Amino acid sequence: MSKWLISAKRIIIENPVIVMMIGLCPALAVTNTVRSSLGIGIATSFVLILANTILSLTKKIMPDKIRIHISIIIIATVVTIVDYFMQAFYPDLRQTLGIFVPLIVVNCIILSRVEAFTIRNSVVDVVLDGLAAGIGFTLMLAVIGAIREILGHGTFLGNPIFGGDFKRFPITFMILPPGAFLAVGILMGLFNKYIKKPK
Amino acid sequence: MVKIQCAILSFFVSIVCAAALSLVYAFTEPIITEAEKNSIIENLKEVMNAQQFKEIIPDSLWQALDSLNNIVGIVFQVHPQGFGGLIPVTVGLDSDAKITSIKISKEGLKETPGLGARVADLDFTKQFIGKHAAILKLKTDGGDIDAVTGATISSRAVCNGIKKGIKQYSKYIESKDNKKQLFFNAQNFVEIIKDTLWYALSGRDTLGVIFIGITFGYLDSIKFMVGMDRKSKIIGINILYSKETDGIGERIRDKEFLDKFKEGIPDAITGATISSTALINAVKRNIERFKKFLK
Repeated sequence: MSKWLISAKRIIIENPVIVMMIGLCPALAVTNTVRSSLGIGIATSFVLILANTILSLTKKIMPDKIRIHISIIIIATVVTIVDYFMQAFYPDLRQTLGIFVPLIVVNCIILSRVEAFTIRNSVVDVVLDGLAAGIGFTLMLAVIGAIREILGHGTFLGNPIFGGDFKRFPITFMILPPGAFLAVGILMGLFNKYIKKPK
Repeated sequence: MVKIQCAILSFFVSIVCAAALSLVYAFTEPIITEAEKNSIIENLKEVMNAQQFKEIIPDSLWQALDSLNNIVGIVFQVHPQGFGGLIPVTVGLDSDAKITSIKISKEGLKETPGLGARVADLDFTKQFIGKHAAILKLKTDGGDIDAVTGATISSRAVCNGIKKGIKQYSKYIESKDNKKQLFFNAQNFVEIIKDTLWYALSGRDTLGVIFIGITFGYLDSIKFMVGMDRKSKIIGINILYSKETDGIGERIRDKEFLDKFKEGIPDAITGATISSTALINAVKRNIERFKKFLK
């Protein structure tokens, strides 16, 4: 039980995006709507959990010398599989995310989890760790996406939430790249002020 | 020894991964192709009300057919260079070369969100409905289209792209159904002189003839099609090709002017004398020439 609790806590206090500051590329690039944020977040989490599970199961027979390149082959395979499924079942989402789906292969979160955690822990721990990192990543992307979509498009998940003038003239700035930096920066600031406990 | 182990292991892992990928590919590939095809057809249906579409040029041009397999128009796709990338535009053209509707897909649009990307909004695209190529220009360029505020480059790109597309593909429109417009109660057409003269038949009766004539206007040649009944009376005339001065010579395409032919040969259009006189004389000449086929 405590394992679960620790993992749940890590969603926030070890959040990949605003605490460890890894995986910032998709967090900045494809979070202009909640839908694409969730899409890339869930795809990344799936790859993270699946690839780490495979790597954890095979860690005993994997010599140190070739560990990284085998890891990359396996991550790339899982990413390509996810990509095919997205093309088949969510073609419009896949089109919006574009190059950022194949780029999950080089997402720092995945490789950092492999190097820092997977090779030293049991399968159950690895899955929990993957879940914590994946949910944390997806959650933070969704929050950034929500801030940007609500302010920049005046919609949430595509549904208009404002009437009148705001609908016609939203804060376009928020869906442009600078808006992403602003949203991530403000979230980091809030986190450091209110949640992070000094050690 | 360890080196060889590493090599064998790498080899083995690669084989397993490749096999897994092939399996997934074999499973998803038909679904992906199907989804792509459906999304294309859906796009086409959005700009043109037709039963089915026949691909003429892959990924670029389709003929729209109604339930009786008559061609009701064409749909084409162009990708003009916008501000951030290529803008995918789907355009429907009816048999008069008038735009039925256009659609710009929001997915994969690389224009600036909130600015250039608003060319995909209905507010912008609905302006194109029912327009001819000649007036497809932004208002600042002397045309008839309101640009999206702050997105002149993207808006202009869309206009020019559509215009170029119409120029390139409109030749695929002129075909059987153009004749059907003139003789809507005719059942079939029999070619008498290749690409020039047809009999319009209904059952065993000859309703009249249809002919195509060419003359030279002010800037370029004018190609027209005339329907004539058995009493040598004009029942309809269509301009198939003309590239006269926008707003002046091009007025020969005006419906009012063309309708006057049905009550006898009209006067020339003031301000467009050269183009309209050329057309009028050519029509007269051709009527004399083809009259004898009506006996």
